[in-house]
Amino acid sequence: MDDSHLINLLAFAQARAVIGCGERLVPCSPAETPAALIDRLFPDARPKLSGCRVAIDAAYASWDEPIGTGRELALIPPVSGG
Amino acid sequence: MEVIIRFTAEPLVPIAPVFPLNGRNGAVIDFYGVVRGQEKGVPIEGLNYEAYLPMAERELRRICAELEEPFPCRSVDFVHRIGAVAIGEPSLHVRVAAAHRAEAFDFARQLIDRMKEDVPIWKI
Repeated sequence: MDDSHLINLLAFAQARAVIGCGERLVPCSPAETPAALIDRLFPDARPKLSGCRVAIDAAYASWDEPIGTGRELALIPPVSGG
Repeated sequence: MEVIIRFTAEPLVPIAPVFPLNGRNGAVIDFYGVVRGQEKGVPIEGLNYEAYLPMAERELRRICAELEEPFPCRSVDFVHRIGAVAIGEPSLHVRVAAAHRAEAFDFARQLIDRMKEDVPIWKI
């Protein structure tokens, strides 16, 4: 991963318990997708994150589109504000 | 449209609109979401809220911008608690001011409905 950069991985609510931390800097290549990144770092986690959406740089994104130059990847469980 | 978005760990203290208004607003809606003594049928002692703050504000501003065309309003003031909120206390206050009541009610209802779908705030 010569072109890798560090991305800040955020996990909220139930997702934090699944991956065991709320915030962590992790290496990521621009071509890598959120799904691939989570599978690489937390091989058993994705089935438990099936209800989660992802956000890149504070905007909803796809699990299956490349992260590109994003600097922050967030795991967003079903929301429950109000 | 003026949009104010705030998150606070402090109790929400009701502040009445300052009358007289400017003469353009014919309707002011105040909505408080209040913590009940049960969640999904289970008794609770209170709620604890968490938010992804930069994204929550961004999503709320996006939703307000999308609602402005169908329901033109003059101002929106949205405040949500984070952290612990006791039973009976408000976790959310939305004030919408508009020329007419229909837009104000519709805007407030849809803003809250869409918050519950897309804005990254959680009861934890």
